[in-house]
Amino acid sequence: MDTWNALMQGFATAATPVNLLWALLGCTIGTAVGVLPGIGPATAVAMLLPITLKVDPTASMIFFAGIYYGAMYGGSTTSILMNTPGEAGSMVTAMEGNRMAKSGRAGAALATAAIGSFVAGTIATVGVTLLAPWVAENAVKLGPPEYFLLMVLAFCTVSAVLGKSTLRGLTALFVGLALGLVGLDQISGQARYTFETPELMDGLEVVLIAVGLFAVAETLYAVLYEGRVVETQNRMSRVHMTRAEWKRSWPAWLRATAIGFPFGTVPAGGSEIPTFLSYATEKKLSPHKDEFGTTGAIEGVAGPEAANNAAITATLIPLLTLGIPTSNTTAILLGAFQNYGINPGPQLFDANAALVWALIASLYIGNVMLLVLNLPLVGLWVKLLRIPKAPLYAGILIFATVGVYGMRQSAFDLVLLYAIGLLGLVMRRFDFPTAPVVVGMILGPLAEAQMRNALSIGEGKWSVFLERPGSLALLAVIAGVVFLPRLLRLRRKLRRSP
Amino acid sequence: MNKLHAAVGAGTLALGALIVAGATQIRSDAGYGGVGPNFLPWVVGLALLACGALLVREAARGGFRLMEEPSGAESGHWPGFLWVSAGILCTAGLITRIGFVLSCGLCFMLAVRGFKSAQGLQDRSPVSWLRDLLIGMAIAAPVYWMFGKLLAISLPGLTATGWI
Repeated sequence: MDTWNALMQGFATAATPVNLLWALLGCTIGTAVGVLPGIGPATAVAMLLPITLKVDPTASMIFFAGIYYGAMYGGSTTSILMNTPGEAGSMVTAMEGNRMAKSGRAGAALATAAIGSFVAGTIATVGVTLLAPWVAENAVKLGPPEYFLLMVLAFCTVSAVLGKSTLRGLTALFVGLALGLVGLDQISGQARYTFETPELMDGLEVVLIAVGLFAVAETLYAVLYEGRVVETQNRMSRVHMTRAEWKRSWPAWLRATAIGFPFGTVPAGGSEIPTFLSYATEKKLSPHKDEFGTTGAIEGVAGPEAANNAAITATLIPLLTLGIPTSNTTAILLGAFQNYGINPGPQLFDANAALVWALIASLYIGNVMLLVLNLPLVGLWVKLLRIPKAPLYAGILIFATVGVYGMRQSAFDLVLLYAIGLLGLVMRRFDFPTAPVVVGMILGPLAEAQMRNALSIGEGKWSVFLERPGSLALLAVIAGVVFLPRLLRLRRKLRRSP
Repeated sequence: MNKLHAAVGAGTLALGALIVAGATQIRSDAGYGGVGPNFLPWVVGLALLACGALLVREAARGGFRLMEEPSGAESGHWPGFLWVSAGILCTAGLITRIGFVLSCGLCFMLAVRGFKSAQGLQDRSPVSWLRDLLIGMAIAAPVYWMFGKLLAISLPGLTATGWI
């Protein structure tokens, strides 16, 4: 009953006209950036972080959540209509969605994607509502050693488990940790890697890293390598699903939600695995196997799209209850909280209950808004795809400048922005993942503080991590996450060559 | 031997060396914890050195493993890259002198040049330069007003009026 009251209180806060406007603005901007190539939700939230200097925390978190969500809806539009897959989460949607669009069923694909996102998003939000307070309640019992190991687990999954090459993932993670070292040490106050430059004393801004790695790097990449790439667009058809298509979509949405949600809740983020899993499940269960990969099967769009949204929503649980981000965007949301001096974690549900519940309530509202924004108005968003490349990317650079300069009013940061852009360009060209950099940079200093606190508790002995049952269990999980996939691969290899 | 990949590995090694060199400069007042502020720098620096060495080894054996083929053209279009770089760096250098709106207009104009040249559509008439400058200023101006008037975050202007 407590949860119910808190949620109603949240609705009361989120449904004030001003906050509704923020949510609508967030959803609109989110959908737009999702549709447009070149910027994703992480970049959009990062560019708009300067508003945290003036706008009150509840309103800006509602706004950012709207962007986060909206981009997922918008991203599917692009991946169905354009022949270039967007971000990782909607790559699977693109496979079947594109085929459906080519055989004249773009409208049905868009409809099942939007309605599936709504269904999965709403169910997952119910999951967050019920599960988050419980996790927070139990997380209070965790001490520094457990926190440190949870963060290490997040590092491992984001760098070594997701992605193709463990080596490149780890390299990216350590680059991120190195960027996080710059500035004053949290515990002793000692300056590290500041090179006697006053601008570096406060450390590097999250905005700068995110905007540099995503927006500037993407622009440089596009101008260097993709100038002559001509994108083709599939023909639109009426956004409508037949009775048979509804019947095929429903079970796919529900199954996918069940697959996606758990993946988001554990600090093993990323929506790549659940979307692929859902795709494989649908392909296996579908009575229309002949449509997969040929004319396009609607289950192949409905499932992955719903799984994506369920996973994305569930990543809010580790973010809000433990303060652990598991994706680019949640890492930047954590940065937004930090700008307000709020530290997400179990105490958040006590200390900032009003904010948290307003945020959760706004997710319900946002989902409804996005369904309206995306179904009847999809034609409007499709027009955005006609903006030519040159002004689009040049415009992105203007917004990148605003975001970075607005945060600290330092021209030095703009030079750094370019340097980080070059780093991102190299990473993009040589297939290094970016999420470990951002997560490493934001989580690094927190993990370091937890580690040193844990060692203080253990009076300097590393055995503190082995003596507590909680941390020992986490160590086992980390070992499992890192070594199990490798052992399985090895076994498969041995079996194949007896 | 893949030279580009080896260069990326070498870059990682250089970064690792820089972090290790920095770590030697940090005092180690460990306190109760047993590890001080120089502990993580050492770990990160040594890890980067190890990653760099392994990357170089992969490069020497024919290139990075499990690589996704990068999208787009085989070789880069460097003139376009220079235009865009000039756009970003000009903004960085001029923003406090000529103001946000004008420097963003300039950045937009230069970046559009870059993309047009990459697409092979270079238009060198002065009219198109002026048009792009004005479009860029038209995008930047509302943002400038929104920040200045609504959020009270003052971005640098050419004049003190708050309008340009």
